[in-house]
Amino acid sequence: MSLQREDFPLPDTRWEPTRKYWEAAARGELRIPQCARCGRWVWYPKADCPDCYHAEFIWTKLSGRANLFSHVVVRHAFLPQYQNLIPFVPALVVPVEAPEVRIATRIVEIEPEEIQIDMPLQVVFAPLQFDGVEATVVAPLFQPAP
Amino acid sequence: MTSSKDWGFAENLDGIRGEVAIAGVGESEHTRASGRTPSEITAQAIERALEDAGLPPDQVDGLMWNSTLDGFDGQAFRDHFDVQQEIWESDQGGGMVWAGTAPYQAAQALRRGQAKYILNIFSVAWATQRADMTGGPGQFHAAELFKQNLELPFGWFPQPIYFATIARRHMHEFGTTEDQLGAIAVAGRRHANHNPAAVLHERPLSLEQYRESPKIADPFRKEDCCLISDGGGAYLMTTAERARDLRQTPITVAGVGLGTSHTGMHWAEQSDFTATPQVFAAPAAFAMADLSPADVDVFSCYDPFTIVTLMQLEDMGFCPKGSGGAFVEGKHLHFDGGGLPTNTHGGMLSHAYVLGIAHVVEIVRQLRGQAAAQVPDAKVAVYGGYTGPQASTLLLVRGDA
Repeated sequence: MSLQREDFPLPDTRWEPTRKYWEAAARGELRIPQCARCGRWVWYPKADCPDCYHAEFIWTKLSGRANLFSHVVVRHAFLPQYQNLIPFVPALVVPVEAPEVRIATRIVEIEPEEIQIDMPLQVVFAPLQFDGVEATVVAPLFQPAP
Repeated sequence: MTSSKDWGFAENLDGIRGEVAIAGVGESEHTRASGRTPSEITAQAIERALEDAGLPPDQVDGLMWNSTLDGFDGQAFRDHFDVQQEIWESDQGGGMVWAGTAPYQAAQALRRGQAKYILNIFSVAWATQRADMTGGPGQFHAAELFKQNLELPFGWFPQPIYFATIARRHMHEFGTTEDQLGAIAVAGRRHANHNPAAVLHERPLSLEQYRESPKIADPFRKEDCCLISDGGGAYLMTTAERARDLRQTPITVAGVGLGTSHTGMHWAEQSDFTATPQVFAAPAAFAMADLSPADVDVFSCYDPFTIVTLMQLEDMGFCPKGSGGAFVEGKHLHFDGGGLPTNTHGGMLSHAYVLGIAHVVEIVRQLRGQAAAQVPDAKVAVYGGYTGPQASTLLLVRGDA
């Protein structure tokens, strides 16, 4: 099972359905697929557009501005690899250009108690580091908007 | 982000009101990591269900199970009970949503004469598997590649995180409080304290104790989260007519509903983030049964987390959307004097983590008058099944439907 990857829980950046997300992040860009016919944002990635069934997507660059949809303050390491992160704040955020989707991420550069739902956020790119995992992958995280 | 109902649908099911009865129920022992295999657990639950019904194993000719989690099939049944008969099998059984919809598939098989006595079975040994690092609910989800590549890298994982995210959003939208979630945990524990079969039978929980418990995934404390345990259950279905010749008071299926979200398989993709597909399933089941939420004496629902009970109470029509918090306060969910006794065996929070099959076993016992925390004169009971993008509603009544 792929859970045995040495770099788990880093993403498998070569897995085709999400490869372009991670390639964009490595360049410091936030991109998600947009239907090439009707323009709908589609997240998570799908083979066909749920609205018009078109199968071609453009991975479109977003501004990186988003609003916080909801979050959790994690104080228990549900995976041993998360131990060094405690406490940390996984969250869903809504990009300003794509209000119909939610992106899973982590909120950084703010005290957990000060975080408010709907607060404006800005993407920031940083390497993911996990206990016992040597490799890193650059990922889109979010911090309070300036 | 819409509260309109364009994000899913109710499956169009034939009316089966009054056709199917549950004639026998059984559970294995429910334990922490026990070293037992799922098949051993299943066999024990089946033996007890057949004993309960007074039906010999050589009469069972139907078996419903879940292909992804349970390896106990027709051949395993024949081997275990040393019988020879042919067995109609369906992988549309088991726990979760399927603990609620198995009677619908069973009705079709009974109509066609494919089987006369059909068991629905489910078991897990996830406490043992987690201790052995060979499985468990977290690994089950982590194996899914979208989760592996879009959720786990951010720590938006595992299930307590998904549902704490939902709970916080529910709090934001509707003013739901931690104490209200706590009331659900306290009610479940109180029922477990009355039920010797519950894993947490000897562990009381007051609202004060709940408040003092540390938050592990804020806003959740561990009391908001279900147990991980080893165990299983089984229930025997037949026609209402045949059930009258068996040992127990027949409990009749009055309605079944199945609701599906079409906005994706993942929690982040659910269009109405603070609702469940019960908004589609429950009205369909009540319509089939010609009953309403006001008729229900005992409520049960798949309860992996406190917020999932709260959302299903709202979405199944027991209170208006957003008012679930006020609804569950105080003793409203308690078996002795509460307005809507809920998960009266203790649920997955305090009885056992068997993914809903024990809920159906419990409401059958309630309707027979045989439950450990018995609701007086219970005539109508409901089970709400849930898996995320799907939900089911099963309505049972004492006697004829």
